[in-house]
Amino acid sequence: MRKCFLIAASNLRRAKGQTVAIVALMLFASAMLNLWLMLSMDYKRNFDRYHDKLNAEHVTLMLGSRSSDVLAFARDTLEQDGRVVQYCMEDVLCTVGSFAYNGGEMNTEFVILEKESALERQVGKVEIVEEGDCTSGVYLPMLYGMNGNIAVGETIDLTIGGNTVSYTVCGFLNSVMAGSHNCSLCAFLLTEDCYAELEEKGYAPASTLVSVRIGDKSESEDFEAALKNAVSAGFPEVRTRSNSYALVSSSRYISQMICSGIVSAMAFFVTVIALVVIASNVMNYIQENMRNLGALKAIGYRSREIVASLLMQFLGVVLLTALGGIGLSYCLFPAVNVMMVAQTGIPYEIHFLSLPFCVSLGIVGGAVALAVWLSARRIRKIDPVIALRQGVLTHNFKQNHVPLERTRLPLQPALALKTTFSRAKQNVTTCITMLVLSLVVVFAGLMVENVIVDMEPFIHLIVGETADSCVNVNVSAEDAFLALMEEEKAVEKVYLYHSVEVAHGDREGNILMCMLSDDFSTVNNQDVCFEGRFPRYDNEVAIAGKYAGEKKLEIGDEITLAAEGQEGRYVICGFTQISNNLGKDCLMTRSGFERMGKLGDVSYYLNMAEGEDIDAFHERVRSGLGKDVNAVIDVYSTVHGAASVYVSLMEIIVAAVLAVGGAVVVFVLYLLVRTLLNSKKRDYGILKALGFTTGQLVLQTAASFLPAVVLSAAAGLTVCAAIINPLTALFLRGIGIVKCTFTVPLGWIAAAGAGMILFTFGASCLLSLRIRRIAPVTLLRGEV
Amino acid sequence: MGNILLKTESLSKSFSSGGVLQHVLKNIDLQLYEGDFTVIMGASGAGKSTLLYALSGMDTPSLGTILFDGQVISDYSSDALAVFRRKSCGFVFQQIYLIDGMSVMDNVLAAGLLVNRDKKALIARAKELFRAVDIPEEAWRKFPAQLSGGEAQRVGIVRALINSPRILFADEPTGALNSKTGLDVLDTLTRFNSQGQSVVMVTHDMRSARRGNRILYLKDGAVLGECDLGKYVHGDRSRHEKLSAFLEEMGW
Repeated sequence: MRKCFLIAASNLRRAKGQTVAIVALMLFASAMLNLWLMLSMDYKRNFDRYHDKLNAEHVTLMLGSRSSDVLAFARDTLEQDGRVVQYCMEDVLCTVGSFAYNGGEMNTEFVILEKESALERQVGKVEIVEEGDCTSGVYLPMLYGMNGNIAVGETIDLTIGGNTVSYTVCGFLNSVMAGSHNCSLCAFLLTEDCYAELEEKGYAPASTLVSVRIGDKSESEDFEAALKNAVSAGFPEVRTRSNSYALVSSSRYISQMICSGIVSAMAFFVTVIALVVIASNVMNYIQENMRNLGALKAIGYRSREIVASLLMQFLGVVLLTALGGIGLSYCLFPAVNVMMVAQTGIPYEIHFLSLPFCVSLGIVGGAVALAVWLSARRIRKIDPVIALRQGVLTHNFKQNHVPLERTRLPLQPALALKTTFSRAKQNVTTCITMLVLSLVVVFAGLMVENVIVDMEPFIHLIVGETADSCVNVNVSAEDAFLALMEEEKAVEKVYLYHSVEVAHGDREGNILMCMLSDDFSTVNNQDVCFEGRFPRYDNEVAIAGKYAGEKKLEIGDEITLAAEGQEGRYVICGFTQISNNLGKDCLMTRSGFERMGKLGDVSYYLNMAEGEDIDAFHERVRSGLGKDVNAVIDVYSTVHGAASVYVSLMEIIVAAVLAVGGAVVVFVLYLLVRTLLNSKKRDYGILKALGFTTGQLVLQTAASFLPAVVLSAAAGLTVCAAIINPLTALFLRGIGIVKCTFTVPLGWIAAAGAGMILFTFGASCLLSLRIRRIAPVTLLRGEV
Repeated sequence: MGNILLKTESLSKSFSSGGVLQHVLKNIDLQLYEGDFTVIMGASGAGKSTLLYALSGMDTPSLGTILFDGQVISDYSSDALAVFRRKSCGFVFQQIYLIDGMSVMDNVLAAGLLVNRDKKALIARAKELFRAVDIPEEAWRKFPAQLSGGEAQRVGIVRALINSPRILFADEPTGALNSKTGLDVLDTLTRFNSQGQSVVMVTHDMRSARRGNRILYLKDGAVLGECDLGKYVHGDRSRHEKLSAFLEEMGW
């Protein structure tokens, strides 16, 4: 052991620079690894912790009624269901509302509770996370107070049921199942006086919030469907909205899933690069220290002792570094946490996590041990005598690459190519690094093009259908509305796009968000149906690709759907992707839906003429149709306001991955150039003595990396450009995206490819400047 | 006596070692002539190699001036010195210093192509030189490690001569060779000198030194004395006696 330690210590002393570079790579790799493990192993568990802490419900059902018959029916249904553990019912006000948020408009289903009674709820408790000293006003979900959007003490205008009311923001709340617009129900607390006033004005219908805890949370979706179907069947006229543990726990963690995926990819790639660098270092060490190894063997060291010393050297450095990396991950976590909480809307307290700590150390230590052991096995085969002759018998004399006598290349490129061909490990490491950088660059380009610069492709992919405005009117006023739109010059296009809920009746009763239209060829986003076609006839349905995959449904299959207590059989004509309901959606024609039930209200999407004032248009609609207008939504502002959270997140992610990618490339190049210079120091001394200048040798060295850089960048960028959409779809599969149709920015990729080559060439030139220190006279004095 | 090819004025070289300044060369004034075979001798540590490195532009002097063909080279930048070395000098090293990863032919062409872009002419000259130093054709595409020590050193001489340098510097060229191969190398150098090639050779071996026509003896960083042996004539015993007497006089 002591002998191994002595060798390891001596190796470390002699390879300070390489050790520093390996430390830097492993520091970052272990930081990313631990961050990923913390995000994936604990972050979502935080939802469960708060779910338990606040005794939150597994299913929320909002009934647009306070009728005793309806409530008695709901109570009986709950009492008779053995799955129910606890439930409560509470008077609330509920309607679609909106407010200015994040530069846009936030439209969501407002569930308005009276503050004191909300705080005393037994199921689905609400906690106040920030509070001012005002006594009259509103408490908003904490999500809307993040990043300085809305502050306590400010006055906020809420549009409730088409009427604008102003409140002072008294504070922010945390509600697990209704604390974000991603929950389908969004809780707002009003102080007693404000609540009474709003109730009296009648802007929001008097409703009942049913919060139910069940024994097995994995049954939340089934239970939600059963409860909702039962109420709809009994009271088809009662408006219902619902959510479930399964839906909310997924939808509130979309950005966590994206971020965790990206961090895991970064951790994986940097770890792989670090391992390749370590393995190459070990192999170079063996080659460059052949004589020393022979001497050690000659004086009685066994192969396993030398291998153990290498293991000790690298494991010691890497494990200590991993501890630092894990510490670094805790320094980065607050910034990541702020980004995450801005989307989840659930507070997360950073604390030490022992399991990710142990797993990170285990993965890093195990991988490094394996890499060192595999690359050091050659030591066993080294014969002391051969090693003392500097491994003469191990040299490969089979091929003289790029013979100067025959090549047509000028001298400098020819010598650079000779170096390239003689250094396979250098080329492999360069290729792997450039492939990783290619993926990073293509991903960054895709995000810049489709999310950051122009968010429309992202919105089309994630949101599905978008337009400028949405107007929801009672069916009785539909003809009047369409006549009004005929006369309205501000409107370019108007088409039915109405969402209802249907149950997939024959398979566990899953609730699907069903989008209805008279003619799907008129909808703006024709990419929603990615396979097959949109429904044309009343017996057709296009169903979510993700859901169809889970249920093993194919195009042409016939399924049973149910709505308002009626069932219908429909043929699947296509697969869709909309992430609104996490991949549980379908499309059908209005006449198709009306085979099951009647619509009480309908939503029309509108494209406005360029430069039209949408607020003025909404006023004209309201004044023209009066109380028959249930809601008007500035879809453009709403969608852009909600999407801007993701855009901000993506800006940070793109900047981070590009910075990390660049830094990794520089570190790897530093190690490669250093190794190259160390092993070719004698050759460079000879060449300088013969009259080569430092500049020629620097260019020669940098050029020796170019073939691998150019080939791997070209191959990497081409392959990554081809697979980036399927890869992104794989990433987003959790939220229902099956086929990604982002525009691949070929111009950006070509420019980035040229940039990558120039960057690596420039960096190699700078790193090769150490050649200046190699003087021919040091060679002659025997110092090389 | 030919034209002055290299000239030094008050050439000094000092090294700092462990905080102590060591003056290795002290105010050397020297002239080397075109066509001469100059041999620099002296005891170990006398400064022979340091003088050779300074004269050849491998190293820069601490003080003083070096002129090559009337041009001051001692204040050249390292890149200018590199260009000077490639165009005007050839080097034969004790440790041979061929590049292991290149074939014999590539070792020679790598030096040649730095100066001469006419590859055909260069290859022809390389072949001519290989034949002249008795390197068989089958060895041209071998790697240095596959050659004997003598063959490798003769390849080193070919590399040194490929650009037809004005002056050939040889630092103990037979130091790493056995007696027979060392003799072959000396014969080669002598033959090229007889064809007009200027040679400066450092050695502490009398048998090697006999090949020179001018012997400089260094002691403690200064030229203590010099001896004119005249052009080398094979089997001329009097050269040996004259050199022995000179070296005895110098305290060898």
